[in-house]
Amino acid sequence: MSESLNSRPEQERLLRKLESIVDLSAEERQGLLALPITVKSLDADRDIVRERDRPAECALVLEGFVCRYKLIADGKRQITGFYLPGDIPDLQSLYVEVMDHSLGTLTATRVALIPHDSVRSLLRRHPSLVEAFWRDTLIDAAMFREWMIGLGRRDAYARIAHLFCELFVRHRAVRLTNGDGFDLHATQAELGDALGLSTVHVNRVLQDLRKDGLIALRGKRLTILEWDELKRAGEFDPLYLHLKSADLAE
Amino acid sequence: MTMTLQPVNVDTGSEDHEGCLVFTDGRLAAVLVRLSDQHAGLAGQWHYEHGFGLLESPTHPVFESLDAAQEWIRHRLNQTRRDQPSLPPVIGEP
Repeated sequence: MSESLNSRPEQERLLRKLESIVDLSAEERQGLLALPITVKSLDADRDIVRERDRPAECALVLEGFVCRYKLIADGKRQITGFYLPGDIPDLQSLYVEVMDHSLGTLTATRVALIPHDSVRSLLRRHPSLVEAFWRDTLIDAAMFREWMIGLGRRDAYARIAHLFCELFVRHRAVRLTNGDGFDLHATQAELGDALGLSTVHVNRVLQDLRKDGLIALRGKRLTILEWDELKRAGEFDPLYLHLKSADLAE
Repeated sequence: MTMTLQPVNVDTGSEDHEGCLVFTDGRLAAVLVRLSDQHAGLAGQWHYEHGFGLLESPTHPVFESLDAAQEWIRHRLNQTRRDQPSLPPVIGEP
């Protein structure tokens, strides 16, 4: 059954995300909230959309944690991005009809499926939303560049520190941090799949980061104890996230 | 191909330091490290720390025993050698 974001408690998620990178007018906000959606709940480790699918809708993450990934020979997986509530990781399926990778959940996740036709019609009515989504896609590309630098040129310690900085800033931009912490819904194996490290390497580095007093990790709760030190360790410069306000980045 | 093992101490920057050098036909081919209690469920198993040449690998499997590690290395070498196309040697640039 179709409803709209207007009727959902998570409606602010998409607006917060977009307003962290662009200004929205009242009409644009209204238009976004009036988009028809079908809410789907998925357990952890389920696919939202798979490589070679031809989706007719985009998935807005309402709750949970999602990864973009590709399977390679003998079942190994490379995760190429993490997505949080407010993100529409398969927005590109609007214009690139065949998925060249998959999106999967890393924890119990709720997504709002929005028909492509409805998004297109909204974009025709509000051309500046085209710019907003384009900007979001360009920032996604900037994240890929940072990850590529990490995979090619940063050691394991710096890679993990950088990822934690990025995730903290992105969670904060959509107000999903609590003080200096957020819930990290990724296992050590999943962090390894994202950073090109073995679970053993990830475990060693997490223990080093704790021992060095940069982070605390209790269950899923990741708390950043020394922000400046963590930034330095990961060579993290939030410029590439192109957040509208400097407060969100620092 | 003959495979020999030699115990060694490895500085992994962690509590894992009991290591083992793996030689194939007398050449260093891989380094294995026994996982410490730091790794809870994996403690006591052997981590494929690094491989050289044909054994270089982006993945780092964990083996229950040194025997299992040697079997994997042998299998991988056979597979990799078979997959190599026999190209003529390259002599300088064309």
